[in-house]
Amino acid sequence: MTRPSEIKPREGSVPGTPYATFAEGAQLGPVSFDITPEIVQEYFTASQADPSLYVVDGRQAAAPNVILPYMTVPVYQTYPPIQGIVMAELEMNWHRPIWADETTRVTATGTIVSKFEKRGRKYVQWRGVFADDKGQPLAELLNTFHVPE
Amino acid sequence: MKRQIEITQPMIDGYGRINGDNDIIHYDHDYAVQRGFRGTLLHGPHMTAFAADLGAKRYGKDWLTRGKLHTKWIGPVCPGDAFVAEVTENGELTATSGGKTVMVGSVTLAG
Repeated sequence: MTRPSEIKPREGSVPGTPYATFAEGAQLGPVSFDITPEIVQEYFTASQADPSLYVVDGRQAAAPNVILPYMTVPVYQTYPPIQGIVMAELEMNWHRPIWADETTRVTATGTIVSKFEKRGRKYVQWRGVFADDKGQPLAELLNTFHVPE
Repeated sequence: MKRQIEITQPMIDGYGRINGDNDIIHYDHDYAVQRGFRGTLLHGPHMTAFAADLGAKRYGKDWLTRGKLHTKWIGPVCPGDAFVAEVTENGELTATSGGKTVMVGSVTLAG
């Protein structure tokens, strides 16, 4: 089992990254982690999800958004977060089920797409791909977050 | 299609445990107020998870292989709020909390 806290630098645990340090085009990862049946169940509970919505031909799948607690791992491993980051936008596509009865090895990679200012606030946008142990994408995302100063 | 959830601090704390963050804006009321919010903030991806359930409900197993979720977090969700997410027939997503719009986006399938 890999808990997100094991691989995601936590705010305050290491010096955080100021906006100026983020570099457009920077590569993120690869970083690998295991989504276990225990994580799948904990995520169902923590996100107030209904597991019955994710049963395929009698087999229990995870909510595909179980990836979300790991979402920032690639970017935060490269750029440890400062306190007060606020998520602004997320686009996410899912391609394959993550099953609830087995452990799924996931490898995440990404790229800093852009950094920009809007209405006096500073934002970073990055793209991530989360693939299984065969290299097949499980999910892709485009995420934008606000870095306070 | 609609879903309503009453937001509590223990819910935020539970999501924080699996999320593994230590961002005090989710846990320290005084800090959140100092930053200009009404209180601690529900994690944005936690809001997204509420909307994702609506996608699963609408699209069934196709949601796991072709699901597309777009969420833009535009307002805070704090303990004590009634969070309501609604998806229209064409997949437009709107969520309100405490009577104000806090998230917009879409819940659709890839072609």
